Amino acid sequence: MKNLFTAALAAFALVLATGADAQTKLRVFSGGQQQRPDLMKRLFDEYTKRNPGVTIEIETGGATSELQRQYLSTILNAKDPAIDLYLIDIVNPAQYYGAGWLEPLNAWMGDAATAMKPYLPVYATSNVVEGKIAAMPAFADAMFMYYRRDLLDKHKVAEPKTWDELVAAAKKIQQAEGNPNLQGLSIQGAPIEGAVCTFLLPYWSQGKEFNDAAGRMTLDKGAAAAGLRQWLAMVDAGVIKKNVAEVKTPDTVNEFKAGQVIFAINWGFAWDRFKDDADSQVKGKVGVMPLPAMPGGRSATCIGGWQWAVSAFSKNKPEAARLVRYLTSPEASKFLAAEGSLLPTYPGVYTDADVVKAVPWFKDAANVVVAGKNRPMSRDYGQVSDIIRTTTSAVLARTKTPDEGVAEIENRLRRVMR
Amino acid sequence: MAALIDRLRDPSEKTLGLLLLAPAFLLLALIVVYPIGKLVFNSFFDLRLSGGGGAARFVGLENYALVLTDKDFWHATKNTVLITLITVPGALVVGLGLALLANLPFKKMGLPMWPVRLALLLPWALPLAFAGLIFAWFFHTEYGVVNDVARRFGADEPTMWLLRPGWAFAAICITIIWKTSSFMALILLAGLQMIPRSLYEAAEVDGASRWQQFWQITIPMLMPSIVVALIFRTITALQTFDIPYTMTKGGPGNATETLAMLIHKTTIEYLDVGYGSTMAVCMFVLSLAVTALYLKRIGQQA
Repeated sequence: MKNLFTAALAAFALVLATGADAQTKLRVFSGGQQQRPDLMKRLFDEYTKRNPGVTIEIETGGATSELQRQYLSTILNAKDPAIDLYLIDIVNPAQYYGAGWLEPLNAWMGDAATAMKPYLPVYATSNVVEGKIAAMPAFADAMFMYYRRDLLDKHKVAEPKTWDELVAAAKKIQQAEGNPNLQGLSIQGAPIEGAVCTFLLPYWSQGKEFNDAAGRMTLDKGAAAAGLRQWLAMVDAGVIKKNVAEVKTPDTVNEFKAGQVIFAINWGFAWDRFKDDADSQVKGKVGVMPLPAMPGGRSATCIGGWQWAVSAFSKNKPEAARLVRYLTSPEASKFLAAEGSLLPTYPGVYTDADVVKAVPWFKDAANVVVAGKNRPMSRDYGQVSDIIRTTTSAVLARTKTPDEGVAEIENRLRRVMR
Repeated sequence: MAALIDRLRDPSEKTLGLLLLAPAFLLLALIVVYPIGKLVFNSFFDLRLSGGGGAARFVGLENYALVLTDKDFWHATKNTVLITLITVPGALVVGLGLALLANLPFKKMGLPMWPVRLALLLPWALPLAFAGLIFAWFFHTEYGVVNDVARRFGADEPTMWLLRPGWAFAAICITIIWKTSSFMALILLAGLQMIPRSLYEAAEVDGASRWQQFWQITIPMLMPSIVVALIFRTITALQTFDIPYTMTKGGPGNATETLAMLIHKTTIEYLDVGYGSTMAVCMFVLSLAVTALYLKRIGQQA
């Protein structure tokens, strides 16, 4: 009898054990703090509530995209199967997929053209490599042109459509205000990722492309030098401050917040800082507009944003892909927009009634994001980015002329981008 | 088998010696020989982590040939050597001054000892990156204390210290000297306290001046400490990374990039492990050559 009881207990334990095995455990790399792991956790909780067979573990990483790329490149290069899903920056799908680190998602999402149709076009192209879906867009970001709506109204200045108009507008307001510390325009000139956009913005706004669809460089040296010369002319005109090569992303945010800047170019997160921070002097005085263009060119901005990708080394690919489908659904996009002001990758979500109510500025943001372009796609993006930002910063510090700087960028990149 | 156990139970002098050396040898092999061996091994491969799933390709001496014609490598080497040539003697002079100051008989003068000792230790105790960040703020164009002082003395146009190649280099050297002279001072202070007082007393009886005492007694007696301090300082100077990295990130452009920074950038940011290893081997050889020179000098002295 006792033996029978033991046997029954053992059998029961076995059932329990196999029951536990039927549970799928997914480990997720959820970016750094800027990518709001707190909100992602709420999405995961909702998903595990609906799918009791799945448990999700979150891992977060470095504060910047560069640090995350260094970390992920190391573990993916070692074919580590521990992490099933990755949240990656828009500059990375080309490298990771090209290296064979990401599982193509076509098997679960369908063919690339149909699966990507609902998303903003720039995310559709950036996440598809050679017809395969390398990653699915989670949320968007872009460089925005913020401006002091109150000052423009006060001095009866219209939103500038070209860079020349912006200089004229800034000078008019600076003179009328008579504040020597009031900067016309704040851009990032320190050798940080933002300086890649500082190089590309005036270049793109002449209607030029940096690379073709296959990733080959199509740099127009004359136009690139003209773009850099324009920034320097703005420095000479007193619109941009002299030590621009020292300015990092938070400097622009803090100086604009302190009311010392008329126009400022920065990522989407800055809006909440201007609106919500206790020390913000510009609450309710800020507008967002598309970036100015060069005469004859067109408005363009630098796109950012984050995507979900499934590891090629994951042991739970089907389950991971199902989770990706949920995380990149319109429902999740709406949640991230309303709760965290994370920009949607679905054009439709920008005009969603609930979203517009929660984040009214998104209706202006939509016009900017639609004109977004991605930075050069390259397997060696780390190197491409370093070359562009270091040289741009040196030109803005005037240790190189624009022509020398552009020639150096071309020479160095030709070895990397081929 | 039994014979072996017997031998271990009662080892000969030689066996015992080998057995006692084994742990240290294993540890060194694991943490010194293996990494260096792996580094040299990697330097013969085209090994990029940015793509291709670890498809390393043997390229023989190709990486070394590339290094020879690599302008960035030679530029960084030049910067590193310049920093070494400026900051090592600089820190020695400042450090010697500090050590002599700390060696004054404060107690006899009725003054507390700890403020000087603390001031001596503080820069040494600060992490390098921390010192770099502090000085980056000092030299900042708008918020820096250096430009604030300059303005109070009548400079109308702020100097962009860290955005001008020459000034940025000077600012980095000043920071390194400030940071490292306290280490020099600590070693030299220990050396100073070993010099017997009787030598000075005898010199005074013979009518030697303070200046003569310094050159005839202090410096010769301090020589062993100076050489030790110089070796340590030179080797760390050749590896300079943290301070320029936090102050200028090698900028403007790559004007202040050191060898260690270039290796870090190539390996960690560009993920080009093969070529980065090659440059690291070259830097290793450079450090080795400098150390050998010093050691030879010590050998001659002994």
